[in-house]
Amino acid sequence: MSTGRQSPPRWAEALLERLLAARERDTVVGDLREEYAESVVVQRGRLLADLWYLRQIWSFVPRRLVQKRIEGKMRQAISFFTFACACWLATMEMVLRHPGYGLRIGVALCIALISLATIIGRLAHVEGRSEVWRWAGAILLIGIGGQAFLRNVRAAHFEGFVVVISVALVVQGVLMLMSRRMTA
Amino acid sequence: MADLLGTFEQAVLLAILHLETEAYGRAVLHQAQEMLKRNVSAGSVYTTLDRLEARGLVSSRLAEGTPVRGGRARRYYSVAGKGIEALSDARSALTAIWAGVQLPSEVQL
Repeated sequence: MSTGRQSPPRWAEALLERLLAARERDTVVGDLREEYAESVVVQRGRLLADLWYLRQIWSFVPRRLVQKRIEGKMRQAISFFTFACACWLATMEMVLRHPGYGLRIGVALCIALISLATIIGRLAHVEGRSEVWRWAGAILLIGIGGQAFLRNVRAAHFEGFVVVISVALVVQGVLMLMSRRMTA
Repeated sequence: MADLLGTFEQAVLLAILHLETEAYGRAVLHQAQEMLKRNVSAGSVYTTLDRLEARGLVSSRLAEGTPVRGGRARRYYSVAGKGIEALSDARSALTAIWAGVQLPSEVQL
Protein backbone atom coordinates (compact mmCIF):
# COMPACT_ATOMS: atom_id res chain seq x y z
CA MET A 1 0.00 0.00 0.00
CA SER A 2 1.22 3.46 -0.83
CA THR A 3 2.39 5.56 2.09
CA GLY A 4 2.73 8.79 0.10
CA ARG A 5 0.11 11.21 -1.12
CA GLN A 6 -3.41 9.95 -0.50
CA SER A 7 -5.26 12.68 -2.34
CA PRO A 8 -5.42 13.61 -6.03
CA PRO A 9 -2.73 15.96 -7.42
CA ARG A 10 -3.50 19.57 -6.58
CA TRP A 11 -3.24 20.66 -10.20
CA ALA A 12 -5.80 18.03 -11.18
CA GLU A 13 -8.22 19.19 -8.52
CA ALA A 14 -7.71 22.79 -9.63
CA LEU A 15 -8.43 21.74 -13.22
CA LEU A 16 -11.62 19.95 -12.19
CA GLU A 17 -12.72 22.98 -10.19
CA ARG A 18 -12.43 25.09 -13.31
CA LEU A 19 -14.78 22.73 -15.15
CA LEU A 20 -17.48 22.83 -12.50
CA ALA A 21 -20.15 25.38 -11.70
CA ALA A 22 -19.71 27.15 -8.36
CA ARG A 23 -22.70 25.34 -6.84
CA GLU A 24 -21.25 21.85 -7.29
CA ARG A 25 -17.55 22.64 -7.01
CA ASP A 26 -17.15 21.62 -3.39
CA THR A 27 -19.37 18.57 -3.45
CA VAL A 28 -18.06 16.98 -6.66
CA VAL A 29 -14.39 17.59 -5.84
CA GLY A 30 -15.04 16.28 -2.32
CA ASP A 31 -16.77 13.15 -3.63
CA LEU A 32 -13.91 12.37 -5.97
CA ARG A 33 -11.26 13.08 -3.33
CA GLU A 34 -13.04 10.74 -0.95
CA GLU A 35 -13.25 7.94 -3.47
CA TYR A 36 -9.65 8.47 -4.54
CA ALA A 37 -8.35 8.23 -0.97
CA GLU A 38 -10.60 5.51 0.40
CA SER A 39 -10.86 3.22 -2.56
CA VAL A 40 -8.99 3.93 -5.79
CA VAL A 41 -5.48 4.66 -4.50
CA VAL A 42 -5.67 1.74 -2.07
CA GLN A 43 -6.71 -0.74 -4.75
CA ARG A 44 -4.72 0.50 -7.75
CA GLY A 45 -1.75 2.48 -6.48
CA ARG A 46 -1.03 6.14 -7.00
CA LEU A 47 -0.21 6.17 -10.71
CA LEU A 48 -3.37 4.35 -11.78
CA ALA A 49 -5.37 6.36 -9.27
CA ASP A 50 -4.11 9.56 -10.88
CA LEU A 51 -5.11 8.23 -14.30
CA TRP A 52 -8.53 7.34 -12.90
CA TYR A 53 -8.84 10.90 -11.63
CA LEU A 54 -7.96 12.31 -15.05
CA ARG A 55 -10.65 10.12 -16.58
CA GLN A 56 -13.17 11.55 -14.13
CA ILE A 57 -12.11 15.07 -15.09
CA TRP A 58 -12.46 14.22 -18.78
CA SER A 59 -16.07 13.12 -18.23
CA PHE A 60 -16.95 16.70 -17.23
CA VAL A 61 -15.37 18.27 -20.33
CA PRO A 62 -18.26 17.81 -22.83
CA ARG A 63 -20.74 19.50 -20.51
CA ARG A 64 -18.38 22.41 -19.91
CA LEU A 65 -17.88 22.87 -23.62
CA VAL A 66 -21.64 23.08 -24.10
CA GLN A 67 -22.08 25.45 -21.16
CA LYS A 68 -19.42 27.73 -22.53
CA ARG A 69 -20.64 27.23 -26.11
CA ILE A 70 -16.99 26.59 -27.03
CA GLU A 71 -17.80 23.46 -28.98
CA GLY A 72 -20.23 25.29 -31.29
CA LYS A 73 -17.80 28.13 -31.92
CA MET A 74 -14.94 25.71 -32.60
CA ARG A 75 -17.07 23.69 -35.00
CA GLN A 76 -18.13 26.86 -36.79
CA ALA A 77 -14.57 28.18 -37.11
CA ILE A 78 -13.20 24.85 -38.37
CA SER A 79 -16.09 24.53 -40.82
CA PHE A 80 -15.27 27.96 -42.28
CA PHE A 81 -11.63 26.91 -42.58
CA THR A 82 -12.32 23.55 -44.23
CA PHE A 83 -14.91 25.14 -46.54
CA ALA A 84 -12.35 27.69 -47.71
CA CYS A 85 -9.66 24.99 -48.11
CA ALA A 86 -12.00 22.71 -50.07
CA CYS A 87 -13.00 25.54 -52.43
CA TRP A 88 -9.35 26.43 -52.93
CA LEU A 89 -8.37 22.77 -53.57
CA ALA A 90 -11.23 22.28 -56.04
CA THR A 91 -10.26 25.47 -57.91
CA MET A 92 -6.58 24.45 -58.05
CA GLU A 93 -7.46 20.97 -59.32
CA MET A 94 -9.67 22.48 -62.02
CA VAL A 95 -6.87 24.80 -63.13
CA LEU A 96 -3.95 22.33 -62.97
CA ARG A 97 -5.83 19.19 -64.12
CA HIS A 98 -3.31 16.64 -62.86
CA PRO A 99 -4.20 12.96 -63.46
CA GLY A 100 -7.11 11.91 -61.26
CA TYR A 101 -8.26 15.48 -60.75
CA GLY A 102 -11.94 14.56 -61.17
CA LEU A 103 -12.03 12.42 -58.05
CA ARG A 104 -10.14 15.02 -56.02
CA ILE A 105 -12.56 17.75 -57.13
CA GLY A 106 -15.43 15.49 -56.06
CA VAL A 107 -13.90 14.95 -52.62
CA ALA A 108 -13.22 18.69 -52.21
CA LEU A 109 -16.80 19.58 -53.19
CA CYS A 110 -18.11 16.96 -50.80
CA ILE A 111 -16.11 18.53 -47.93
CA ALA A 112 -17.27 22.00 -48.99
CA LEU A 113 -20.90 20.88 -48.94
CA ILE A 114 -20.65 19.30 -45.47
CA SER A 115 -18.89 22.37 -44.09
CA LEU A 116 -21.42 24.69 -45.68
CA ALA A 117 -24.29 22.62 -44.27
CA THR A 118 -22.67 22.79 -40.81
CA ILE A 119 -22.26 26.57 -41.03
CA ILE A 120 -25.80 27.19 -42.32
CA GLY A 121 -27.27 24.64 -39.90
CA ARG A 122 -25.71 26.37 -36.94
CA LEU A 123 -26.61 29.86 -38.12
CA ALA A 124 -30.21 28.80 -38.73
CA HIS A 125 -30.36 26.73 -35.50
CA VAL A 126 -31.49 23.62 -37.35
CA GLU A 127 -28.38 21.50 -36.76
CA GLY A 128 -28.75 18.03 -35.36
CA ARG A 129 -32.27 17.50 -36.73
CA SER A 130 -31.14 14.75 -39.05
CA GLU A 131 -29.15 12.08 -37.27
CA VAL A 132 -28.36 10.11 -40.42
CA TRP A 133 -26.86 13.10 -42.23
CA ARG A 134 -24.90 14.18 -39.19
CA TRP A 135 -23.38 10.72 -38.74
CA ALA A 136 -22.71 10.29 -42.45
CA GLY A 137 -21.07 13.73 -42.68
CA ALA A 138 -18.94 13.17 -39.59
CA ILE A 139 -17.75 9.74 -40.65
CA LEU A 140 -16.94 11.02 -44.12
CA LEU A 141 -14.91 13.92 -42.73
CA ILE A 142 -13.00 11.67 -40.33
CA GLY A 143 -12.40 9.15 -43.11
CA ILE A 144 -11.15 11.71 -45.64
CA GLY A 145 -9.07 13.58 -43.06
CA GLY A 146 -7.58 10.40 -41.60
CA GLN A 147 -6.70 8.97 -44.98
CA ALA A 148 -5.16 12.23 -46.17
CA PHE A 149 -3.10 12.42 -42.97
CA LEU A 150 -1.81 8.85 -43.25
CA ARG A 151 -1.02 9.15 -46.96
CA ASN A 152 0.88 12.36 -46.33
CA VAL A 153 2.87 10.80 -43.49
CA ARG A 154 3.84 7.86 -45.72
CA ALA A 155 4.57 10.01 -48.79
CA ALA A 156 8.09 10.92 -49.90
CA HIS A 157 7.26 14.63 -49.80
CA PHE A 158 5.72 15.67 -46.51
CA GLU A 159 3.37 18.63 -46.96
CA GLY A 160 2.50 20.72 -43.92
CA PHE A 161 -0.71 22.21 -45.30
CA VAL A 162 -2.13 18.70 -45.88
CA VAL A 163 -1.50 17.87 -42.21
CA VAL A 164 -3.29 21.04 -41.08
CA ILE A 165 -6.29 20.46 -43.33
CA SER A 166 -6.55 16.73 -42.55
CA VAL A 167 -6.38 17.35 -38.79
CA ALA A 168 -9.02 20.08 -39.16
CA LEU A 169 -11.30 17.62 -41.00
CA VAL A 170 -10.90 14.97 -38.29
CA VAL A 171 -11.56 17.49 -35.51
CA GLN A 172 -14.59 18.83 -37.38
CA GLY A 173 -15.95 15.27 -37.71
CA VAL A 174 -15.36 14.49 -34.03
CA LEU A 175 -17.07 17.73 -32.98
CA MET A 176 -20.03 16.84 -35.18
CA LEU A 177 -20.34 13.52 -33.38
CA MET A 178 -19.87 15.10 -29.96
CA SER A 179 -22.55 17.73 -30.57
CA ARG A 180 -25.33 15.14 -30.12
CA ARG A 181 -23.73 13.52 -27.10
CA MET A 182 -23.30 16.85 -25.38
CA THR A 183 -26.81 18.10 -25.94
CA ALA A 184 -28.60 14.80 -25.28
CA MET B 1 -48.14 13.87 -18.33
CA ALA B 2 -44.75 15.57 -18.26
CA ASP B 3 -41.91 14.58 -20.61
CA LEU B 4 -41.12 10.92 -20.10
CA LEU B 5 -37.86 10.13 -18.39
CA GLY B 6 -34.99 8.59 -20.30
CA THR B 7 -33.51 5.27 -19.20
CA PHE B 8 -30.52 6.91 -17.56
CA GLU B 9 -32.69 9.41 -15.71
CA GLN B 10 -34.84 6.57 -14.43
CA ALA B 11 -31.75 4.68 -13.28
CA VAL B 12 -30.49 7.73 -11.38
CA LEU B 13 -33.86 8.33 -9.71
CA LEU B 14 -34.21 4.66 -8.79
CA ALA B 15 -30.66 4.64 -7.44
CA ILE B 16 -31.55 7.55 -5.16
CA LEU B 17 -34.66 5.73 -3.96
CA HIS B 18 -32.64 2.58 -3.37
CA LEU B 19 -29.96 4.42 -1.37
CA GLU B 20 -32.57 6.18 0.78
CA THR B 21 -30.72 8.60 3.10
CA GLU B 22 -27.25 7.76 1.73
CA ALA B 23 -27.79 9.08 -1.79
CA TYR B 24 -24.85 11.38 -2.51
CA GLY B 25 -23.12 11.76 -5.88
CA ARG B 26 -20.64 8.87 -5.87
CA ALA B 27 -23.05 6.49 -4.15
CA VAL B 28 -25.67 7.26 -6.81
CA LEU B 29 -23.05 6.65 -9.51
CA HIS B 30 -22.12 3.21 -8.12
CA GLN B 31 -25.75 2.24 -7.64
CA ALA B 32 -26.63 3.34 -11.18
CA GLN B 33 -23.68 1.32 -12.52
CA GLU B 34 -24.91 -1.74 -10.68
CA MET B 35 -28.45 -1.30 -11.98
CA LEU B 36 -27.42 -0.67 -15.58
CA LYS B 37 -24.60 -3.25 -15.46
CA ARG B 38 -22.19 -0.94 -17.25
CA ASN B 39 -19.73 1.81 -16.43
CA VAL B 40 -21.16 5.28 -16.26
CA SER B 41 -19.12 8.45 -16.18
CA ALA B 42 -19.08 10.83 -13.24
CA GLY B 43 -19.83 13.72 -15.59
CA SER B 44 -23.04 12.13 -16.87
CA VAL B 45 -24.30 11.29 -13.37
CA TYR B 46 -23.69 14.75 -11.91
CA THR B 47 -25.13 16.39 -15.03
CA THR B 48 -28.25 14.25 -14.73
CA LEU B 49 -28.61 14.99 -11.02
CA ASP B 50 -28.28 18.68 -11.78
CA ARG B 51 -30.90 18.49 -14.54
CA LEU B 52 -33.33 16.46 -12.43
CA GLU B 53 -33.00 18.97 -9.63
CA ALA B 54 -33.61 21.87 -12.01
CA ARG B 55 -36.80 20.09 -13.16
CA GLY B 56 -37.91 19.68 -9.55
CA LEU B 57 -37.73 15.87 -9.66
CA VAL B 58 -35.09 15.65 -6.93
CA SER B 59 -34.14 17.87 -4.03
CA SER B 60 -30.82 18.08 -2.24
CA ARG B 61 -29.29 19.13 1.03
CA LEU B 62 -25.70 19.80 2.02
CA ALA B 63 -23.95 17.94 4.82
CA GLU B 64 -20.69 18.86 6.49
CA GLY B 65 -17.44 17.71 4.98
CA THR B 66 -15.04 15.21 6.54
CA PRO B 67 -11.23 15.35 6.71
CA VAL B 68 -10.84 12.75 3.94
CA ARG B 69 -12.86 15.05 1.68
CA GLY B 70 -10.64 17.98 2.59
CA GLY B 71 -13.54 19.46 4.53
CA ARG B 72 -15.68 19.73 1.40
CA ALA B 73 -19.43 19.35 1.79
CA ARG B 74 -21.44 16.36 0.65
CA ARG B 75 -24.69 16.83 -1.26
CA TYR B 76 -27.40 14.31 -0.48
CA TYR B 77 -30.26 13.83 -2.91
CA SER B 78 -33.83 12.67 -2.41
CA VAL B 79 -36.59 12.06 -4.93
CA ALA B 80 -39.31 14.72 -4.78
CA GLY B 81 -43.01 14.01 -5.25
CA LYS B 82 -42.76 15.14 -8.85
CA GLY B 83 -39.96 12.62 -9.36
CA ILE B 84 -42.06 9.76 -8.02
CA GLU B 85 -44.85 10.84 -10.37
CA ALA B 86 -42.45 10.90 -13.32
CA LEU B 87 -41.14 7.42 -12.46
CA SER B 88 -44.67 6.12 -12.21
CA ASP B 89 -45.53 7.64 -15.61
CA ALA B 90 -42.44 6.09 -17.15
CA ARG B 91 -43.30 2.66 -15.76
CA SER B 92 -46.95 2.94 -16.92
CA ALA B 93 -45.83 3.95 -20.41
CA LEU B 94 -43.43 1.03 -20.61
CA THR B 95 -46.03 -1.44 -19.36
CA ALA B 96 -48.55 -0.09 -21.86
CA ILE B 97 -46.30 -0.35 -24.90
CA TRP B 98 -45.17 -3.87 -23.95
CA ALA B 99 -48.67 -5.14 -23.22
CA GLY B 100 -49.43 -8.26 -25.28
CA VAL B 101 -46.09 -8.18 -27.07
CA GLN B 102 -43.92 -11.25 -27.25
CA LEU B 103 -40.55 -11.19 -28.91
CA PRO B 104 -40.04 -13.83 -31.63
CA SER B 105 -37.32 -15.55 -29.59
CA GLU B 106 -39.67 -15.83 -26.60
CA VAL B 107 -42.41 -17.32 -28.76
CA GLN B 108 -40.03 -20.03 -29.94
CA LEU B 109 -39.01 -20.83 -26.37
